[in-house]
Amino acid sequence: MCDTCGCQATKPSHQDKKLLEINKSLLAANDSVARKNRKHFDKIGARAINLISSPGAGKTTLLEKTAELLSGEFTFAVIEGDIETERDAQRIRAKGIPAVQITTGGACHLDATLVHKGIHLLEKELGKGSPRLIFIENVGNLVCPAAFDLGEHKRVVMVSVPEGSDKPAKYPRAFMGSDLFVITKMDLLPYFDFSIDEAIRCARAINPGISVLTLSAKTGEGMEGWMDFLKSESMNQDEDEDEDEDEDVA
Amino acid sequence: MHELSLVQGLFSQVKEMASQHQAQKVTRVVVKIGPFSGVVMDSFTFAFDILKKDEELLRHAHLEIIRPGPRLCCSLCGREVDGEKEDLDFKGNIFPGQLFSQGKRCPHCGKGSLYPSGGDEILLMQIEME
Repeated sequence: MCDTCGCQATKPSHQDKKLLEINKSLLAANDSVARKNRKHFDKIGARAINLISSPGAGKTTLLEKTAELLSGEFTFAVIEGDIETERDAQRIRAKGIPAVQITTGGACHLDATLVHKGIHLLEKELGKGSPRLIFIENVGNLVCPAAFDLGEHKRVVMVSVPEGSDKPAKYPRAFMGSDLFVITKMDLLPYFDFSIDEAIRCARAINPGISVLTLSAKTGEGMEGWMDFLKSESMNQDEDEDEDEDEDVA
Repeated sequence: MHELSLVQGLFSQVKEMASQHQAQKVTRVVVKIGPFSGVVMDSFTFAFDILKKDEELLRHAHLEIIRPGPRLCCSLCGREVDGEKEDLDFKGNIFPGQLFSQGKRCPHCGKGSLYPSGGDEILLMQIEME
């Protein structure tokens, strides 16, 4: 019985104000699925790379070119994220690369749960054996995808020359959490006022450790740097293990 | 950003805690939103006020947002800098790009440029319930 007014409320008394200390991220639900995804990738011996850019920066084209240049150094598969259509997955499959399409049906970014679904779809597509690299091509958007950990090992942010070199300054969050910044469509540099120096300076002002590559998937310029990055990733299986363990404890 | 879905995530955490503690009513929710989180405070507050109307448990909940000041780090000497003490001209939402455009140098060594140190947190800190 409540000892303040004698009503039938069971403890805790309805008069009691209780203050709970929580200190937990609002994205905790997503982050916990992301950790599971990362473990899943580790278990099947694959490194996951999350590709983030605005629409039309050339994510799918870069993956198509990657497939063309591949000569047995590593294997890869793609989880395609889009609001609608199977188009990107079809483009990748046409190059002989396993791909699955996740359509968000309106959502402007992938989250860890959608990617989890993608992993299982991909496993069906692959049957036995798994590739060394799994690309997660995010929905074209330089804003929201930045906040969602998908369970990737590396995050790559891309800006194409026609978009302008002010993008890192204007969309800082996407650059804060990325490991590599790729400037694409370098073949268009003569036709646009894009300052590579400004783009790199702005990106490093936000994230001093970010690596930078410049390339054109169309002409093949700079593609060897990209292929080297992927090759070293494909050989790098355990780098983030300690970090994961720490996260699990927390 | 996606303030509405952040608030939906917040509500599901609050509801879970409230049911664990057999609370009838949540009176106050305290969140901490870092200066580099990208969250737009007005949209977040708006989403909270709209969504709470549909929740019996949260209908009378008051939202309190803790906004820590920007912490910066020097690219050369590595020392931490309190963005507020350095009187950086931050107004409203803070975006790291402003650091660059303002061209501020490290107050310790006078040479390095400043970049954000943490500050991207979006945390549920406290729930007050009855």
